[in-house]
This record gives sequence, structure tokens and C-alpha cells, in this order.
Amino acid sequence: MKRYDLIIVGAGPSGLSAAIEAARRGLNVVVFDENEKPGGQLFKQIHKFFGSKEHKAKIRGFVIGEQLLKEADEAGVEVVLNATVIGLYQDKEVVVRIGEAVHHYKGDAVIIATGASENMVTFDGWTLPGVIGAGAAQTMMNLHGVKPGNKVLMLGSGNVGLVVSFQLLQCGCEVVALVDAAPKVGGYGVHAAKVARTGVPFYLSHTIVKAEGEECVTGVTIAEVDSHFQFIPGTEKHFDVDTICLAVGLSPMSQLLKMAGCEMEDNPKRGGQVPICDEYGRTSLPGVFVAGDVSGIEEASSAMIEGRMAGIVAAEYLGYMEKEELDSNLVDLDKALDGLRQGMFAPKNRGKDIETTDEGIPVSKNLLKHGFVADDEIERFPGVTHAKGIHPVMECTQNIPCNPCQDACPKHCIRIGSNITALPAVEEGSECVGCGMCVASCSGQAIFLVDETYEEGYASITIPYEFLPLPEVGAKGNALGRDGKKVCDAEVISVKSIPAFDKTNLLTMKVPTEYAMKARFYKEA
Amino acid sequence: MESRIAEHPILGVPEKGKKVTFTYNDTQVEGYEGEPIAAALKAAGLMVHRYTKKEHKPRGIFCAIGRCTDCVMVVDGKPNIRTCVTPLKEGMKVQTQYGVSDKPFAEQ
Repeated sequence: MKRYDLIIVGAGPSGLSAAIEAARRGLNVVVFDENEKPGGQLFKQIHKFFGSKEHKAKIRGFVIGEQLLKEADEAGVEVVLNATVIGLYQDKEVVVRIGEAVHHYKGDAVIIATGASENMVTFDGWTLPGVIGAGAAQTMMNLHGVKPGNKVLMLGSGNVGLVVSFQLLQCGCEVVALVDAAPKVGGYGVHAAKVARTGVPFYLSHTIVKAEGEECVTGVTIAEVDSHFQFIPGTEKHFDVDTICLAVGLSPMSQLLKMAGCEMEDNPKRGGQVPICDEYGRTSLPGVFVAGDVSGIEEASSAMIEGRMAGIVAAEYLGYMEKEELDSNLVDLDKALDGLRQGMFAPKNRGKDIETTDEGIPVSKNLLKHGFVADDEIERFPGVTHAKGIHPVMECTQNIPCNPCQDACPKHCIRIGSNITALPAVEEGSECVGCGMCVASCSGQAIFLVDETYEEGYASITIPYEFLPLPEVGAKGNALGRDGKKVCDAEVISVKSIPAFDKTNLLTMKVPTEYAMKARFYKEA
Repeated sequence: MESRIAEHPILGVPEKGKKVTFTYNDTQVEGYEGEPIAAALKAAGLMVHRYTKKEHKPRGIFCAIGRCTDCVMVVDGKPNIRTCVTPLKEGMKVQTQYGVSDKPFAEQ
């Protein structure tokens, strides 16, 4: 039986990160992954990540994936693909199916980084072809270049549902509705707002009654639910769709740990059946560690840090470093992970009703109910100010761990401070030069440049624009409000796409001055 | 409506292998070498991969990452092939799966 110092199951963000750290410290490491390619779900993530510089904020997920693979390669990590781990037994014997053969390996330490699988909900017709997981949609469009459908209904308003809805729009699908049985949008408000402003209606407190069709989906009926999630008769709404996308949460894939005899718990805050482990992924079995979603559903950013922690802790377990070195290695990682676990969406706040921001500002109710901040709510947030000439308007209204805008501005117009969940504010006395770096750097696409005195009677508004075809200068169309409805006519006066913007084009439109604080999207007439 | 993405605002023009022809039941279908069989079928607008054994209900792509086994078909004579994770090759014979057979239920 072949022996390794460390066997890692899963070559996603956490598994690869763990492998890199362990290999750098001299461990003989192998990573098994059942997929044809490494990287887990990172290569399907085409949006810019949140966080701070150390979390690779404002870099798109698939680029982070490429960086991770390069790092793993340089560290000498061995990754075995198309290799399904089917068993984890006593004494850390790992059983792997590769092709038609079953192989046995022995690890002196094992890190389980298997990630999560998608949850499902059932309704009449849910097994019809055309009902797919949100992950399937991402796989089809972002890996294989095939549109998942033409007219899509999304169920689920968590970050996955919101992000995938936006990605569906980006690849040219129509999203007819975003539906969630919960009374409030579950994901980041900025993700919701960028979907809502394109005109996608949100139906909270609604869920699917049935999928229609004989051989495949041809339509869907949704209805409103009461506080006990029971349908309210007479509230049914029908949509013609060919695809229904389910984004109803993730569950840790912890079966191997259970099989190995790890102490487990059912913890809804961590997403289901998870191993009992300490903050660095040490389970109840000596030498068996966990990292990433398998130990609790979070983001890829935190999975990468957890992976690095587990890799280092495994190295110390096997005597590749002293306890003091371990402790000093963990200081920065602790800090980075702690930074991500702050704010309204922190694991500790799951399920809580949050009424005000850390700054004491009442949260936008409309954002939670309809996916966008209402016109009469937006002005109370510190990023939204009026000024002469061009200036940034930051429609960032929830405390989330993210601060690239602060560093992006060469003129230091934007202030978040040391607490990365603070709402961005305009630095008094600073002078915006209209470069647009903040607009392109905002992972939530929540920053706009507004010049209320652009021309007599007209304002200019610069918006982030990640769609094709790119409108041309001089094009005349409609300015849409935050709700995705037309507010006025608009003329495109500038379209900027420079490498530093990383595919976020900056579209500037001219609208009558009275709509300067209302127009937030452009659509061809 | 064309379901291949010609150009993506973030990802650009999708990188694809060489164009190949395969058979879906009795018809010739085109796809790209190395992409999952399921992607080629989806691009061709073919939604039904199999019918269930007991109730004869249609099934198609569901998870697209090899977990759920909803998309299995008979490929080159072998049943239960997960088409979402099986790379397409020139001349592959892809057939609708009825229960675990390539024969429609009436002929079984």
C-alpha cells in the first residue's frame, strides 16, 4: 500500500490551499479529486470576489483558480484527477477508485476538503428535464459555453441564486423572475440590486407550485406563501419558461468523515451534518483534518484560508514544524479569516433580524423585499452624497466584508477605515477626477459616478456594465431605475474598457438632471 | 434560438475542441470533442436523456457535475453513463436509456 505524509481529498479551493502549505513545509502530499479538472467550483465563478486584498478581493474567481493551480504546481503538489475517494478507514487508509480499479493508500495525516453539494426542493414536476441546479447552470454556461436555457426562473435569493441569475443575464438568457419562499432576500443586497436594476422581478414569500410540461419544462406556476410557508390560494402566477434553476442552499459532503468515525453534529448554522472540529480543522480523530465547506458552508475565500490553516496544522502534527512556528504561522490567517466572518452575513448572525447597520442606519426594507433600495431610502447611506462636478455614489448599504473601493481611488476619496465591514463614505474635501477605478473595483457593482452639473439640464451617470453587445457612444435608449423600470431617455456619451477595469466596462449616459439619483442602468430602447 | 454562447462579456470566446459528429439515437449531431456529451446534447436542444424504469418519466441534466446520475444514457452500448462528465468523442453512439436498456419499453 502506497504511503503519503498527507492525503487530501478534494482539489477545490480549500484542498489545494492545504496542499500548497503542506508541500512547502516538506510533506509528501497527494490530492485526489473525482473531477476531470482541479479547482472545484472556482472556475465557474466569474464575478469579482469580495473581501480585502489578502482575500484576493476584486479578482474574479476563475483567475484565483488559475493562481492557485500555479502555486500548487510550484510547490510540487501531486494532484490525481478522475480519482473518486470511496472510503476512509481506520488508521487513515484511503480507498480510491481510479478508472475501473480500486486503489488503497495510507496517509499519516488526512485532510478532507470535499466541499458541499446542492440542496433540492421538490414540487410537482421537479424531475422534468429543464429543472436544474444553479450549479448546473454555472457549469453549462461558464465552463462549457452553452446557455442553460432561454427563459429561466430562479428559485432562491441567497448569494448563489443572485450571482447565478446575473451570470445567466450575462450569457444572454432572460431571467423572468427570482423567487424565494423566505420573506427576505438571503444574499448580499448589492448582488440583488445588480440583478433587479436590469429588470428582473423579485418574488419573496413565493415558491413554486408546479413545473409544467410533458417531456421537458414549458412553464412554471408560483404562488405566495404565508408565514407558515403554506400557499395562499388565488396568488398563483404563471410564467412561460424552459428552465427552472434551483439555488436553495448547500450541504456539507461529510460522508467520508462519518464513515471514518469522526464525531459529527447536526448544525443548521454550518449547513447540516458536519464534523465536530476546532478552529483549525482538527477533528475528533487524531491526524484527520477538515477544511472548506465540508466543515460548514461559507465562501470560497474563507475555504482557501481554512485550507491553508489545515495544511499547516497537519505539518505540525507530523513534526514538520515546532509549535511556536505553527502559532506564528497562524496569526495572519486567523486575522484574515476573522475579517471575512464579520458583518451582517457573518456565520454568527445567520437567522438574525438585523434592523440597523453598524453605523446605526436603518437597513433598506425594500432591498430585502424587492431586491433594490427604494429612492426614498438611498440618501440615508454615507456613500450617497451630492457634490458639484463628478463624484462617486456608493450604494453600499449593508455591512459586508469588502473594501477594494477604498484602495482603488488614487485620490483617496473613499473611506472605509480599518473595519472592512464599515459602509464606504465619501472623504470630505477630496477631489474625484472621474477615473472610474472605484466603479470597476466594486465587486458588488454598487458604485456609480454622478455629475449632476454635466450640462445645462443634464447629468452624467457612469455605471458598471458587464454585458454584450456593448452599446456604442451616441446610442439612445432607456435609463432604468434601481427597480429595473424605465425612468427616462438616456444617451450613451462614453464607453470605457481598459485592462485595469478587468472586463467591467464603464458606460456613461446622459440623463435629465432630475433623474441623476434615480437612473442606474442602461438598456437599448 | 442558438444556445452556444458565441462571445461572453467576461470569458470571451469559449475555447472548444475540434468539431465532431456523433449519433443521438438515429440522428447525427455535432458537438465539440472533449466537452461533456450532455453539453453537446443541450446545445442541440435535446433535453431528454432517459426514461425511468418504473414510471417511464423523462429525465435530463440536473446537477451537471456527475453527482445526481439523472443524465445517464447508453453510450457506445454501455448503460448508466453519466453524460455530464463523459467527454464527447468522434463517432460516439449515444442512446436514450429506458430503465437500464437502450430498447424502448414496448420492445423490452
